[in-house]
Amino acid sequence: MLRSVRDYFNSLLLVELFKGLQLTGAYLFKRKFTVQYPEEKIPVSPRFRGLHALRRYPNGEERCIACKLCEAVCPALAITIEAEPRADGSRRTTRYEIDLFKCIYCGFCEESCPVDSIVETSIYEYHFEQLGDNVMTKEKLLAIGDQYEAEIAEARLKDAPYR
Amino acid sequence: MSDKITIEIDGRSCEAAAGEMIIAVADREGIPIPRFCYHPKLSVAANCRMCLVEAEQNGRPFPKPVPACATPVGTGLKVWTRSAKALDAQRSTMEFLLINHPLDCPICDQGGECELQDVAVGYGGDVSRYSEAKRVVVDEDLGALIATCMTRCIHCTRCVRFIAEIAGTRELGATGRSDHMRIGTFVATGIAHELSGNIIDLCPVGALTAKPSQFKARAWELTAHDSIAPHDAVGAKIQLHVRRGQVIRVHPRCDEAINENWLADRERFSYEGLTSVARLTHPRLKRDGVWHDVSWDVALQQVAAVFNTVPGDDLGVLLSPQSTLEELYLAQRLFRAHGCPNIDSRLRQQDFRGDAVDVVPWLGLPIADLEQQTAVLVIGSDLRQEQPLLAHRLRKAALHGATIALVNPYQVNLTHPNHQFVAAPQQLLTELAAIAAALGGRGAGEIANLIAQATPTDAHQTVANALKTAGESQHGRILLGALAAADPNYVAFKALAYLIAEVSGCGVGYLPPAANSVGVYFAGALPHVTAGNQPAATVGLNTAAMLSNPRRAYFLWGFEPDNDLIDPTAARKALNAAEFVVIGTAFTSPALEAVADVLLPIAAYAETAGTLVNAAGTWQRFQGAVAPPGEARPGWKVLRVLGNAFNCDGFNYQSAKDVHDELLTNCGECELTTAPQGEYSPLVTRPDPIELTRIGAVPIYAVDSLVRHADSLQQTPLAIPFQAGLHPDEARRRGLNTGDQVRIQQGDAVMTTTVVIDTTVAIGTIRIPAGIIDSEQLGAQIGAVSFSRV
Amino acid sequence: MVDNQNTVCFRTMHLNETVRHSLAAYRSLGGYQQWERILTERLEPEGIIEELKLSVLRGRGGAGFPTGLKWSFMPRKAPGQKYIVCNSDEGEPGTCKDRDILRYNPHQLIEGMAIAGYCIGATVGYNYIRGEFYEPIAHFEAAIQEAYAAGFIGKNILGSGIDFDLYVHRGAGAYVCGEETALLESIEGKKGQPRYKPPFPAQSGLFGRPTTINNTETLASVPVILERGGQWFLDQGRPNNGGLKLFSVTGHVNQPGNFEVPLGTPFRELLALAGGVKDGRQLKAVIPGGSSVPVLPGEIMLQLDMDYDSLAKAGTMLGSGAVIVIAEGTCMVKVLANLAHFYAHESCGQCTPCREGTGWLARVLHRILHGHGQMSDLALLDSVAGRIGGRTICALGDAAAMPVQSFLKHYRHEFEHLIKHGRPLDAAA
Repeated sequence: MLRSVRDYFNSLLLVELFKGLQLTGAYLFKRKFTVQYPEEKIPVSPRFRGLHALRRYPNGEERCIACKLCEAVCPALAITIEAEPRADGSRRTTRYEIDLFKCIYCGFCEESCPVDSIVETSIYEYHFEQLGDNVMTKEKLLAIGDQYEAEIAEARLKDAPYR
Repeated sequence: MSDKITIEIDGRSCEAAAGEMIIAVADREGIPIPRFCYHPKLSVAANCRMCLVEAEQNGRPFPKPVPACATPVGTGLKVWTRSAKALDAQRSTMEFLLINHPLDCPICDQGGECELQDVAVGYGGDVSRYSEAKRVVVDEDLGALIATCMTRCIHCTRCVRFIAEIAGTRELGATGRSDHMRIGTFVATGIAHELSGNIIDLCPVGALTAKPSQFKARAWELTAHDSIAPHDAVGAKIQLHVRRGQVIRVHPRCDEAINENWLADRERFSYEGLTSVARLTHPRLKRDGVWHDVSWDVALQQVAAVFNTVPGDDLGVLLSPQSTLEELYLAQRLFRAHGCPNIDSRLRQQDFRGDAVDVVPWLGLPIADLEQQTAVLVIGSDLRQEQPLLAHRLRKAALHGATIALVNPYQVNLTHPNHQFVAAPQQLLTELAAIAAALGGRGAGEIANLIAQATPTDAHQTVANALKTAGESQHGRILLGALAAADPNYVAFKALAYLIAEVSGCGVGYLPPAANSVGVYFAGALPHVTAGNQPAATVGLNTAAMLSNPRRAYFLWGFEPDNDLIDPTAARKALNAAEFVVIGTAFTSPALEAVADVLLPIAAYAETAGTLVNAAGTWQRFQGAVAPPGEARPGWKVLRVLGNAFNCDGFNYQSAKDVHDELLTNCGECELTTAPQGEYSPLVTRPDPIELTRIGAVPIYAVDSLVRHADSLQQTPLAIPFQAGLHPDEARRRGLNTGDQVRIQQGDAVMTTTVVIDTTVAIGTIRIPAGIIDSEQLGAQIGAVSFSRV
Repeated sequence: MVDNQNTVCFRTMHLNETVRHSLAAYRSLGGYQQWERILTERLEPEGIIEELKLSVLRGRGGAGFPTGLKWSFMPRKAPGQKYIVCNSDEGEPGTCKDRDILRYNPHQLIEGMAIAGYCIGATVGYNYIRGEFYEPIAHFEAAIQEAYAAGFIGKNILGSGIDFDLYVHRGAGAYVCGEETALLESIEGKKGQPRYKPPFPAQSGLFGRPTTINNTETLASVPVILERGGQWFLDQGRPNNGGLKLFSVTGHVNQPGNFEVPLGTPFRELLALAGGVKDGRQLKAVIPGGSSVPVLPGEIMLQLDMDYDSLAKAGTMLGSGAVIVIAEGTCMVKVLANLAHFYAHESCGQCTPCREGTGWLARVLHRILHGHGQMSDLALLDSVAGRIGGRTICALGDAAAMPVQSFLKHYRHEFEHLIKHGRPLDAAA
């Protein structure tokens, strides 16, 4: 009985409406955190796992030694490697491919690499226009590594104390 | 050694033979003891110190941990393999092994299957206490088959002991002291032994790895497929390691009755030929002198259409004795159904006069029993080149004191005590007659004349006595090899062999040259034998007759006539004259394309299922492991479809096993015997007075197409180039020196080559290898030649 | 002065130095009479071996195994060739006694070897002599020629029907070839690496035949024992430590040299024979039996007598009798680094612990010596040495480990000082 009277007045005086508007009002004046992407970008952790790259040593020698640990550890079977002795007798890949459609960006490849060759950069803006572009070849991966070496090295350095 | 005693290992009581080593007992009981230098087939070195265990005997503890590999068991022995003392000793050894071992597992081919890695997981520390400089060692050049990284070496000396004890050549050794000790060849030469690849398996670390498969795959990427080695009649059990449809390497499987745990390099590295650019990948048809790739339908219809117009008797069918039993059986069934009795697979034989009397040319005893022989007379065989693993068995016998005698047209390089009688082929019969005479043999007909004229020397008498003694205890054997089989007087060799066997009490056996040389009798792929080793109703032409009386059409299967037939020049002539030549082959070559009209691409050994019968008559089935390239198909499938195209009945097999089972039913009662079905009564062929006899042994890496296309094997010192070996006396008489060019004339075949002075060659002979490039320009493997200086 | 000095192996020492190694000189002292007596009276080998057992002649090469017992292990009556091998590959640092036997009394060794061969049934003997011994080899080979010429060795010796041929095999500078089985490998023409035992040489030795290997001094003592009796020999020394022993006293003494004195002679007396510590300095330490045995501080040594059992009780060994005297003012770290370098260089490379461990020890000690050590290195050295000892085929591993452990035990403070301060505690010299 009493409850129905209370409900009647509540609805007559729009109490619930104002309750809702109170929350709206509160957020109306709070600090906004919408980022105006792509004009604005959020900061990225040095541990961010984005597009892959193959690194080189400062003398230009590719780091990858074709140990195939990344291929073995990859849970999505996204990595394909073929290797043979290079002319100077060293162990090198002749084929190093990552299928980005398969990749789940888990970072295991990076973790397993004994020479810090395969890395995941902080690049997350990329697209494919044709079927087949999704397969990152050795050349493409090395090119990314060459272009972003400074950022990659910096990110590794920042993360080093925590490893 | 026969007394059984009981010892206790880790509290478990184990039965052991007195004098056995602790580690052997533990292995049998499945108790793991880590080890590096110990190997059951090699002598005990006790130098790695990894297998140290704690022990006591009759209550008295040994003061120090003892090496399980070198401590013989005795009564009252108690062993603890995992006590604190034992583990401490094992862990210390592990630490010492690791301080100078490089941390390069990621680039080491052994990574993932490395004994050091495995044991380090169990016994290694997590952090190294070693902070000094590590050792670096210069690599050895061991040739085209074995890659080295000597920095990884842990000095277990297994390879040194293998080369010294099993190979018998002492090409490897340790030099230097302390941590400067290194394993290597004393002089800078590679290893030239037909079993050298086994040290790759023996090496517990990545110091010795396989060069042909270097860096190609990691152990975990490979799937293993059991198979049978396809190049000699041992039929070694192998495992094909396959990655993404490609054979990456070949490993032996252990079978004490067949190959123990060894494998000849020929079987280990021939897989390289599978990916040769010379592989035939499409059925091909020659129309108006131009080759076209065609579909299987077109090719097989064309074959059937042409063969249907040729009477069976005008056909010649030559099958490779390296083919599977299934292929041989289907081919002979097909062509016999077609009315063609001219089927043969003895491609390297020129004397077929013994066909009526012959038994199946098998070893005559289980392979392992060769070791128990106390006297063996080998007639016409370059043992190590022809039969690497049988030669190893005979070497074992020799080292146990057996008398091994060889009668050969050239001195054979052996690594054990032996007696060799070396002479030109004609005189070889005299040598054998002398041995027969020393045994008191008489013989009949021409053989009797030979024996009557023979004058046994002390050497003949020694061998004869040894054979006699061995024969009395049933441990003597007379073996006929490939050089005897290629001789124009093969029958005379056989007659003398059986005569010597009879008077000495020894058995006769054959060293079958090819993987299925015994199987061809079961398959019936011979002019006088049909399936199940039954006499054929109509005896067809043999290889020699098919080539000397050219047929209108030929069907060749699994070989290259230029390299695999005893007389390539005659073969070329016959094939060129034929109207229609069909060749089923895995490899193509300009020479094949010149003579063939249809080329059918067939699978090589790793790509097909089949059965091989080894020297001891053991049937061994195997499955394909990889897909054949392109349109190539397993041989049995091709023949089965061809059977349909010929409208033969019963060609509805669904699998190779169906074919195998049908043949097995045919062979139900077949038993291998050693006694011939009658007397060999040879007329010894004596050609006109000849200048020189050519001895054309087939080099070890030229026995079949697959081996010839295996690049790494061709780079070894055992791959002999085409050259003419002459005895120094012969050369001096003609004023020749090493390097001189000579023109060899054999019949109407002429070829120019280089002279090599070679003391192993018999006077009256010239050694020119067969089966290799340029040898196709000459005639029969063994035959008269004349030559002139260029 | 010891009254019976130089009466066994150094019997010829008092003779004219130009002729004392000749046959005539040896004959003048009654040489070869025992050999003649054995051959003419056809003495039973068992009797001779009993006499040796009575004398308690213990192996002079270092292990101190009773010689009579060793000879009795030989399957003397077994068919086939047997060998007697003399080990003159005197490589133990500090030892030079065998050299002087070969130089001054070679015939006594030849007689001893012939008698040994007779007792164990060997008709061929080898003397494996250290390659650097130029003059001793010349003397010994000349002595062999003389002995052949006089008919004391060769075929059908003195008409007895007994043969004995003797050959010299020169070593090529490997310390490990002084180990008896490595020595056999070396004679066989192989790389000098010790063999695993069993089988012992008495079952399968040189060329796979039963073989007895004795030290030069041991074999050279035999003729005198037979001449004067086992009991006499035993009485010269102490119970269970029979006879006289050659001591090579080297290091910081005024008159280094070889002294043949009875076993049981106090160290103090031996030091006096060698003229006392050099330049009047204080005795710091002594390695009493060649570089492989544990070091003892000088004050302990001065209380000890030089025989097998006394030294064993004190925690060291008599070894080959090479007494290395170290005076005050010597850096013990440097001494040990030097020794460790020697063992790292001389390890045959066969067994893992010794091959890898000796090099490790040497490198760590080198580092400490050059001022780059850490305190944790001392525990590391001790642990590594402990992991080598008792884990190898031959005793070289133990020999390399024992000095490290004993130096660390007695002179740890010197190591600590060097590590802490970067300079040696005691390095006046």
